[in-house]
Amino acid sequence: MINVLKNFASGPIVYITPEKIFTFHGIVITNSVFYGWVSGMILIVTFVLIARRVTVRPKGGIIQFVEVGITYMSNLIESSFEDPERGAKYVPYFISLFFFLLFNNWLGLLPGVGEAFQSHGNPLLRSFTGDLNATLAVGVVTMGLVYIASIKEVGLKEYLKHFFVGNPLNPMYLFLGLIEMLTDTTRVISLSLRLFLNVTIGEIVIAVFAYLGGFFAPLTAAPFTLLELFVSALQAYIFVLLSVMYLAITVNHAAADHDEDLTDEPVTETMRLQSEKA
Amino acid sequence: MITLADAVNTAIIGKGLMIGGGFIGPGIGIGIIGGNYMAAVGRNPEASKFLGQALVFIAIIELFGLLAFASIFIVK
Repeated sequence: MINVLKNFASGPIVYITPEKIFTFHGIVITNSVFYGWVSGMILIVTFVLIARRVTVRPKGGIIQFVEVGITYMSNLIESSFEDPERGAKYVPYFISLFFFLLFNNWLGLLPGVGEAFQSHGNPLLRSFTGDLNATLAVGVVTMGLVYIASIKEVGLKEYLKHFFVGNPLNPMYLFLGLIEMLTDTTRVISLSLRLFLNVTIGEIVIAVFAYLGGFFAPLTAAPFTLLELFVSALQAYIFVLLSVMYLAITVNHAAADHDEDLTDEPVTETMRLQSEKA
Repeated sequence: MITLADAVNTAIIGKGLMIGGGFIGPGIGIGIIGGNYMAAVGRNPEASKFLGQALVFIAIIELFGLLAFASIFIVK
């Protein structure tokens, strides 16, 4: 109690890094990983229960909300591909990713997360997506799937070809293609940093305004908590949308015929047509 | 001899400059995107279905503001 009061006097309590809560056979389990397991369990149990109750005419509000979300996301993912049947097999992964991130973001905003429960002086619960290790893991897995799937869809040669706008033997196109490959590797970092920073900075903003409110902390923190509700849903949506786009761009690019304007040869047909017209 | 760094808490000034300077760019960028989106919707109301894409670009821009915010924890 005295500790809490001392903290209250010194300023808002901000955690940026996850803390160790226990070790399992020498592996350190941090509070964010622990809470990730908890929310994963909640996600699995909720969705299994909902999936059992889905009928043609569902009863109960929450089933309809979940159905609307799944229909919206699956339409979005399939319509990103030029051939929707090609995109259909990636729908399950991306939808589970979306709901996993959404659950983790929203469960991280619950009042019990953070200072309330302590273990060895560290908070017991911490938002899973508020930890760079976690979001980096999600980003690496997702981008790994994107790379493997795009190579599988179009073949290794076509996949490497889509980095180059023209003939790779031309030094200019070769250089541009290499830079394009380098840019591709930063996607993992930008995806994971965006999610991590949005969640963590949202928590910090809520902590700062709860501190500034003093006795009226619920009143001052409530608008920012509502804003965070919106931002967390948006970030889960954007994480999925961007990774689907990265996959769809490669697949669509290889599927489409190569653009005639980018070849080195002069386009003789149009020139002849124009001269015939004249 | 007392230098400027001793007399003034330069870390506070640095943090202020980082937040202020870092939020200018995303502020302008999000304003441009929002303004252009509203102009497009005003010209052609069917363009309102592209709100999702506008939000994606806002999120991409927002990352840079957040990076500036996160960097203030490095300054001591």
